Amino acid sequence: MSTDGTIHARGIRKSFGYKTVLQNIDLDVASGEVCCIIGPSGSGKSTLLRCINGLETVDSGVLKVNGEDFGYYETDAAYHALSPKKLAAQRTRIGMVFQQFNLFPNMTAQENVMSGPVLVKGTDKKQAAKRAQELLASVGLGAFGDRYPAQLSGGQQQRVAIARSLAMDPEIMLFDEPTSALDPEKVGEVLAVMQDLARKGMTMVVVTHEMGFAREVSDTLLFMDEGVIVERGAPREVLASPKEPRTQAFLKQVL
Amino acid sequence: MVQTISHGSGNKINGTDPALKPRLRRRSVFEYLAWVVCSLIGAGILFSVSTNPNFKWDVVARYFTYETIINGLVLTIFLTVASMFLGTLLGLGLAIMRSSRIKPVAVTAGVYITLFRGTPVLVQLIFWFNISALYPDLTIGIPFTNIGMAVDVNSVMGPITAALIGLSLNQAAYMAEIIRGGFSAVGKGQIEAADSLGMSGAMKMRKVIIPQAMPSIIPATGNQFIGMFKETSLVSVLGVAELLQSAQLIYARTYETIPLLIVASLWYLVMTLLLSYPQSLLEKKYSRATSRLPRKAKKVVLTEQEGVAR
Repeated sequence: MSTDGTIHARGIRKSFGYKTVLQNIDLDVASGEVCCIIGPSGSGKSTLLRCINGLETVDSGVLKVNGEDFGYYETDAAYHALSPKKLAAQRTRIGMVFQQFNLFPNMTAQENVMSGPVLVKGTDKKQAAKRAQELLASVGLGAFGDRYPAQLSGGQQQRVAIARSLAMDPEIMLFDEPTSALDPEKVGEVLAVMQDLARKGMTMVVVTHEMGFAREVSDTLLFMDEGVIVERGAPREVLASPKEPRTQAFLKQVL
Repeated sequence: MVQTISHGSGNKINGTDPALKPRLRRRSVFEYLAWVVCSLIGAGILFSVSTNPNFKWDVVARYFTYETIINGLVLTIFLTVASMFLGTLLGLGLAIMRSSRIKPVAVTAGVYITLFRGTPVLVQLIFWFNISALYPDLTIGIPFTNIGMAVDVNSVMGPITAALIGLSLNQAAYMAEIIRGGFSAVGKGQIEAADSLGMSGAMKMRKVIIPQAMPSIIPATGNQFIGMFKETSLVSVLGVAELLQSAQLIYARTYETIPLLIVASLWYLVMTLLLSYPQSLLEKKYSRATSRLPRKAKKVVLTEQEGVAR
């Protein structure tokens, strides 16, 4: 982990057509911080996450990731979109884990993990394979390198997906409901890997419905609703004694 | 049934255990009727075909392996393979252009596909054959400058060239749509995963999209191939001595029209049947759920019954 690992957002706005999904979002994530985002579906929490690595573009506002303007460069008059090459370079420093894993089905677990370093960074194959093996071992899948995604359980696939993101040596890891598509009994194994990662000092932003994980692992908890961050604070405080009525209502439903 | 294993209560009739009795399919009156009617029709046609002397089966047999016919068949096969190859390559290019985010590129491919799918291939073939009427001297070069080279279209555009160009360009439009359909079957999540790893557009295409689009593209391409084999008969209008034209050349001389058309048809039929078998294997292979796994993976998931298919 090299340089920065911070996220700073000021006044982020985003709409899909008439529907405003993010309004005036301010967010600061320090290096090594774990930030969990909770909220009802359609509250904009996934969209916020996707904006941070450029799967969605923001309409206005300031977004600095790893200390530099993300996806755009600033001039006196405007923000200009970066070339695909530069955007890709910024993205390699941010890992993304999806709800549906999105492993490449035509590659083995090991090839999936190697794909980033070999195809994007041009790392030597032997070296990448060795690193992939280590990463798979670190998520408890050392013996599964030659399996194809279809031959792995959901929990195993998600752990491979985490290893694939880590192979790029990102400074920030984003998790978009990483356990929502899993069988209840497989949730624990993925959360354990994430907890381990947090302990090692990775900057993480996690959109989740796992309140236990949010309470135990995160440093900051955000509650979002209708495109606004309604409440934020230390997770135990927010979960135990929410101040906003909207947060209270939501937590009453899920806890 | 000789066994008389009694299961529970012994309500046997004629000594057969009810649990072992076969279950019979219900046959409707319509089913029996269909058998009778279809058999009669079939027998009638067969009788007529075999007794009508005008079919001249001896002539059919004589010309079936005649040199002219075989040469025509070879040319037909060449045209099919060549135009499918060129058409697929061009179609891949068009499909990539069609899904480009740059508007003029996508629109260009769209216009091409519309034009070539929207007009009959027969018209296109005649058009290319007569292109020299439109452009007698083609100059390939940069517009509005003197840089370039001149080509005498009439000497270049022979019947076979025109046939090859016409079939390939037409096929490209259809292949483009097939390939684009395959592309769009690849999940959005796959592209997002590739994006988040920082893959470039070309890399995404080669390593993520194309490998996953193949299972839906390959069977459809096989179908196109079989279709193209028969479509080549259209180029007979240009005087290309492929299978149909070879038959026509002979019956123009001997007036044995029907027997020679039967010869040509039999060859088309034989080739189509020969191609249908690998085609059905392809379809079976790619329609299976596990087909998304590449070959290597089969070793692990293989069960004995499945192994027979390979």
